[in-house]
Amino acid sequence: MCSVEEGDTDVPFSKSRPNESIGRTCMKCQEKAILITRVNDAFCRSCFMVYITHKFRATVGKTKLVRDGEMVLVALSGGPSSSALLHLIQEGLSERTHKKLRFRPGLIFIDEGAAVNLPSSERLNTCEKMLEIMKSTGFPCHIKALEQGLDNDNIQEFSSPPDICCPGSRLEKELGTIDYDTESILSDISTATSSVTLDMSECSISSSIEEPYGNSREAIAVSSMSRVESSFQKYEEAEEKLKCLLKSLNSVSSQEDLIRTIRHKILSEVATTCGYSKVMLGSCGTRLAVTLLTDMAIGRGGQAAVDTVFADRRYKNVMFLRPLREFSSKEIGMYNALNDVESVFIPTLTTKGSDGASIEHLTEAFVTGLQRDYPSTVSNIMRTGEKLSTGAEEENKENCAMCQSSLDTNVIAPSALNAVEFSQRISSRGDNSDSKRDHCNKTGECCGEGDGSCNSTRTRATKQQVLASLCYGCRLAIRKLDDVEKLPLYVLKDVFWRVRREKMKSEIEEFLLDTS
Amino acid sequence: MPLACGLCDKQAILKRPKTGDALCKECFFLAFEEEVHQTITDASLFIKGETVAIGASGGKDSTVLAYVMKILNERYDYNLNLVLLSIDEGITGYRDDSLESVKRNEIQYGLPLKIVSYEELYGWTMDAIVKQIGLKNNCTFCGVFRRQALDRGALMLKVDKIVTGHNADDVAETVIMNVLRGDIGRLRRCTAITTGTDGALPRCKPFKYTYEKEIVMYAYFRKLDYFSTECIYSPNAYRGFARAYIKDLEKIRPSAIIDIIHSGESLSVKKEVKMPVQGVCVRCGYISSNTVCKACIMLEGLNKGLPRLGIGKTHKERLKMAEQIGEKEDSSINSQNLKSCVSDHFRPKSNSTSFEKNQLDSFWVQISQSGQSCCKSNTVGCSCQRSVVCKDVTAGIQSSVEQQKINSSVIDF
Ligand SMILES: [Zn+2]
Ligand SMILES: [Zn+2]
Ligand SMILES: [Zn+2]
Ligand SMILES: [Zn+2]
Ligand SMILES: [Zn+2]
Repeated sequence: MCSVEEGDTDVPFSKSRPNESIGRTCMKCQEKAILITRVNDAFCRSCFMVYITHKFRATVGKTKLVRDGEMVLVALSGGPSSSALLHLIQEGLSERTHKKLRFRPGLIFIDEGAAVNLPSSERLNTCEKMLEIMKSTGFPCHIKALEQGLDNDNIQEFSSPPDICCPGSRLEKELGTIDYDTESILSDISTATSSVTLDMSECSISSSIEEPYGNSREAIAVSSMSRVESSFQKYEEAEEKLKCLLKSLNSVSSQEDLIRTIRHKILSEVATTCGYSKVMLGSCGTRLAVTLLTDMAIGRGGQAAVDTVFADRRYKNVMFLRPLREFSSKEIGMYNALNDVESVFIPTLTTKGSDGASIEHLTEAFVTGLQRDYPSTVSNIMRTGEKLSTGAEEENKENCAMCQSSLDTNVIAPSALNAVEFSQRISSRGDNSDSKRDHCNKTGECCGEGDGSCNSTRTRATKQQVLASLCYGCRLAIRKLDDVEKLPLYVLKDVFWRVRREKMKSEIEEFLLDTS
Repeated sequence: MPLACGLCDKQAILKRPKTGDALCKECFFLAFEEEVHQTITDASLFIKGETVAIGASGGKDSTVLAYVMKILNERYDYNLNLVLLSIDEGITGYRDDSLESVKRNEIQYGLPLKIVSYEELYGWTMDAIVKQIGLKNNCTFCGVFRRQALDRGALMLKVDKIVTGHNADDVAETVIMNVLRGDIGRLRRCTAITTGTDGALPRCKPFKYTYEKEIVMYAYFRKLDYFSTECIYSPNAYRGFARAYIKDLEKIRPSAIIDIIHSGESLSVKKEVKMPVQGVCVRCGYISSNTVCKACIMLEGLNKGLPRLGIGKTHKERLKMAEQIGEKEDSSINSQNLKSCVSDHFRPKSNSTSFEKNQLDSFWVQISQSGQSCCKSNTVGCSCQRSVVCKDVTAGIQSSVEQQKINSSVIDF
């Protein structure tokens, strides 16, 4: 029988025709066209620039979310999209612009070299390059390392003026070999680390305009040296911990997923502690279409909307914005080429991998491949996303302890989740290693206070307790994880908090009225 | 060293694609069947005493479904009246083998079989359709016609429900496909285990969470007899893209299919997004989000020698078609051998839009004012005043078309 179902044969995308810009004229001014944007509109150079800047302003402006003078943390990855974002922001802030942007940007780069086992010299190199780019803007800048996300206490307790940067890479390790310029980054370490005991990588650079960078740097550098040495070990540990965690996930797709989660966590923490109320991400529409489809593939369908919407309100005090979501990667590339915007090559987990190296990588190849033949692919996918609810309007929703999106695991049967659990129950005898371990590893040991306030013997979370606090996608990501103690501290803390709340609730249960 | 079954310590002969557990044959059968039973009970798919038609194509999904339904019906005393329902599209050679296989199932499983042909239902065989339209778009026809054929056939058998062999792989594919084409209406509907609850006959998918690979495994070890069917008018529909993507995903993460279904199930649509309204076709009464259903448009095209009608690409074209049909409705109702009285389909349904209800109300008022009674029997020769009916039907269609021009979100072919 024909396997085609009704509706299958609607052809939603039209095959692309070879529609090069050669010989065409700009749709606005009849100049010679240089490129054709998505809907077959041919543009000349200057009209293209107007089109792009207008689209950018419109995206940022139409929601009226960014207020005048508001501090906005702009996340840079070194890639073309975020580089274009930085350039657009700089242009928008410049005096000659008639409709000026009025927010106050700060820049952040997260060094993820540890995740791909980059040698420290390369990480240093990348950080230097990024720092160079960031410094040249005159905006306050921050550098963090991915491993810092494992122990967010430091970010949380770290209170510093917002114009302080935090180079989290192994800059310090290279103390002997680095040049004057990089050394100056270290120079202000003491000011920033005075309140920090564990994390040596919190350091600052006075790159703000008000405080010209480099004053009294030598004196501070000397005083900070000993601290650098002592906290260096802690830093090494964090890096090892991250590598160990990623390795035990046993899947590149899961690693990518977790890195994305930690990255967002760091961004939101830095923003909160440094007084930014918004974070801008440089993801363009093409990237977001890949994200949306990847989300579908990794069980994060419920989060697909939050992950691709313009204003992501998942984090408590910080809003994530995606001002480039209306742009295609082609437009970004063209914009960068026309403006000599450089990007920094930064290797990722799948840089050298085949299409099948990870789910995200596969999805990217799939979407870009389809897009080549069917130019409406990306906009179709984004159209799907636009109609999905981010769940922001729902009250009292419980969030995932890891990625902060709403928990999608409280589902009633019949559901895919229940079906999987049933399958697992029925085709094994249920004596898996988890339950065995729980048995000989009782939780709740404490000095007697019983409220966990003593922290004397830190209890170990069971995998069940952790899983119960996670969304479907995060559960998948850590499925192969052997020891939940390897997870970021903020996750474990959240899990314990939930466990305590559950315990409290069970104690007072009989007095609670059903309000639903 | 041979692996031991994870449940009974006998020698394992397979690794479950779904969970990775090593099981022996008997334990696999049990796990497979129990899971389907679990799905059936969790979703309360059936009520005791119901007559349920199993859409039987002779292919693996429906063959295994028929077998498992029969076993579970006996084991758990569902008390269902099971019948096999097959559609003969009228494709020379293609159906012969699969119908043979269904007929064997009839004997082996002791289930009654009813074969309904396209010719009976539409007056056209697929071969005749292909002769008129060529090979290019025939899958559009056979897909659209088949979906209705099962319902129409089931109505003839007077069953309460239809079960189909759609498996987890099919559902996941459909989810991805609808994401790719931005079709939020279908995206939301496609993960439902039962569809068509209001108005049309309910259709259920007991295999919604069952992997295709396990179905093959089950058939293989149970030595079930099925005919491996691929539509010979091979679909180059872009479902193929989604299928290939999922196959690649599975290589990276074997749970991808169920993960995608979970994704589909946990999507929620913005409140302000207007969903296409599922109404009924004014011509045939079949569930449709448009005034005239796709099958009717296609039939119209075939009968009028305009076979490309209904397979156009843009909404505009479709609207034009619907309008054309609307204009022709007057004559076509008279000329065509309708199986049931038009008024029967035009009765207000719970799922009609308020707009449609208003239309219907005024229609009924007109009839009662003019003192004419409309027959309610499903006879060919309706004794009611056709002209009255048809005029209103035509008006209804045309104003619906107007409505659709205004509200583009209700267009969903
Ligand atoms: Zn121009
Ligand atoms: Zn999560
Ligand atoms: Zn066994
Ligand atoms: Zn076909
Ligand atoms: Zn119809």
